[in-house]
Amino acid sequence: MEDLIRIENLVKIYERGEVLALNDVSTTVQKGEFLVLLGLSGSGKSTLLRCINRLIEPTAGTIVFDGKDVTKASSRQLRHLRRRMAMIFQQFNLVKRSSVLTNVLSGRLGYVNPAASAIHKFAKQDIADAMACLERVGIPEQAYKRADELSGGQQQRVGIARALMQQPDLLMADEPVSALDPATAHSIMQYLEQMNQEDDVTVVTSLHFLSLARRYGARILALKDGEIVFEGSPAEIDKVKFKEIYGEDAEEVEVR
Amino acid sequence: MTKTYHAGFMSDKPNWGQALKLWRRDVLVFLTDVACLAGLWMLITYAAISPDRGVLVFLTVPWWLMLLVVAVLAGLWQSFGLSSGMKLLGRRLKATQDASGAAAFARRLFRALLLPFSPLLVLPVLVTARYVPIHDRWSGFETQSATEVVDPKSPWYRRSWAVAIALLALTAFAVSVIFTRVNLVKLFTEFDNTANIRAQIANPNWGVLFEGGQLLLVTLFMAFMATLFGIIVAVPLSFVAARNLTQGLVGRAVYTIVRGILSILRSIQPFIWVIVLIVWVKAGNAPMAGVIALFIHSVADLTKLYAERLESIDPGPVEAIRATGASQSQVIMYGIIPQIINPYMSFTIYRWDINVRMSTIVGMVGGGGIGQRLLQEMRVSDYSDAVVLMMLIMVAVWAMDTLSARLRERIETGSSNPALPSYALKLKTEISNRTFGSRW
Repeated sequence: MEDLIRIENLVKIYERGEVLALNDVSTTVQKGEFLVLLGLSGSGKSTLLRCINRLIEPTAGTIVFDGKDVTKASSRQLRHLRRRMAMIFQQFNLVKRSSVLTNVLSGRLGYVNPAASAIHKFAKQDIADAMACLERVGIPEQAYKRADELSGGQQQRVGIARALMQQPDLLMADEPVSALDPATAHSIMQYLEQMNQEDDVTVVTSLHFLSLARRYGARILALKDGEIVFEGSPAEIDKVKFKEIYGEDAEEVEVR
Repeated sequence: MTKTYHAGFMSDKPNWGQALKLWRRDVLVFLTDVACLAGLWMLITYAAISPDRGVLVFLTVPWWLMLLVVAVLAGLWQSFGLSSGMKLLGRRLKATQDASGAAAFARRLFRALLLPFSPLLVLPVLVTARYVPIHDRWSGFETQSATEVVDPKSPWYRRSWAVAIALLALTAFAVSVIFTRVNLVKLFTEFDNTANIRAQIANPNWGVLFEGGQLLLVTLFMAFMATLFGIIVAVPLSFVAARNLTQGLVGRAVYTIVRGILSILRSIQPFIWVIVLIVWVKAGNAPMAGVIALFIHSVADLTKLYAERLESIDPGPVEAIRATGASQSQVIMYGIIPQIINPYMSFTIYRWDINVRMSTIVGMVGGGGIGQRLLQEMRVSDYSDAVVLMMLIMVAVWAMDTLSARLRERIETGSSNPALPSYALKLKTEISNRTFGSRW
């Protein structure tokens, strides 16, 4: 299989606090893969994800996305690359005062005419697509509500619909279910799985719970203090590996 | 796996930036105490010399002598107690060597004598790129962050900063009573001076009502113009005056310059601007001078309010919009503006309200409108005209105040159900019904 992302010797240092967030991380993500990032809070998962679309500027190293060097891309090239990498977030990051439909449509911003979008004008096709995306995540009737009137699970579905609008090659999810209850968490994870299997979207997601990673992940990458401590299939994680990732005092908990 | 740490990362290699930072941390503590003590000294001197002589004397000794004594005192304060500088900047003194009695006293005294020379430690810093706090090292002490100290209860002389600040406040109060000549008895003994004013106020001259109304309109339009132009300038300006939106070297420079200019503009009151502008645009155009004066202040004030709102927006949605590949203008349009539009409107109405009130004051110093006329009447002691004008102003301000409160309340509650009056509004109606009867 072909590589979609190639990361070489990635280093990120937050200068202000002199924190070494990523230390020489190298890995590849193949097309169509479902990769799960594991690790404690502060282990560098979020930083790694945000380096891929350069929401955070890496300190050193290279990231190649589909043959193009992200780290050297000009701002215009970067915007074109970002269109193909959708992202969903732990806190959903919807614009709370805007309508659900506007939030979904904003997934299309990279494609549309900037002048038209400045006056909130979208093509009929885009609006029809947005409704279709909302239908796919099962909340078409909420389209004209304000985003903050929705429940957490519904807000994350809007986040997914916004990602779908981008028609991405890659979906990055930063702890997508940490703010949700277990039942809702599974339904959200199933949407990711569906995108991965039916739309051939490569998924890279960070997760807190190992049980969720085992259930959905094809491959697992574990980080600790900014370094890769484990790379392999979920089945390979035994008690010893688990303690290595999460520390000696950790106990595994199940999320069903 | 090879370790590829960034150069200078968490190392104890010589590092000018790091060393200067440490030096500055210690020197700031010392300078704070010097400033505190010098301020106290000057206030005491001032209080000791009667201001009735008409000369402000803050020092009776040469300034360098005071600084010398104050520096020694600051050294003693920091070595034997907890100084205000240490308290404010969160530093604590810790002995690194065991000593008691006379030996400990001698150590502290030695440190106190060395401390005034500690600013000179910048010289070895510049040469060696290391900072060594010699005054601490030689006397067997070190300073540590207050957060590391576990013992919160210490004798009063270790908490001497509180005593010092109480002393400072007390001195300042005593000095200000003398300085401002506050004498409450005069309020009662001199009341008869107002007899003429009281008599005229009791007989208002309603003849000026119409003319006053016209002047009031001028004043209201002045406020409206100033607010309108204020918005047009302040909205774009606020984006370069917000810290979170001005990253990078150029951005930070622009931010600093804009904020600096704005705070200077804001610190100069509109009535001072009018005095300057009236010379500029000639006295015949008084209202225009008033509008420009209010405009300048509105821009400075609105930009600050707007920018502070921008600084407190949720960065999450902005990040999400950026991640979709949106351009900078789209990020502003879809990620930022929905978050700020309502507060901006609320601030603007609030500012309009202020401008209505301020335009009267601005008029008084020559900015035209009803304020100018009011001052003229008061100059010639025609209080029966003045009282009518004042009533007009009161009505306008009251109306504006109520309107602005209502509008802002509606905006801030998100207007999800505008038909339903809020609890506060209901309460207000109820009170006015009780006071003025239901026709209100």
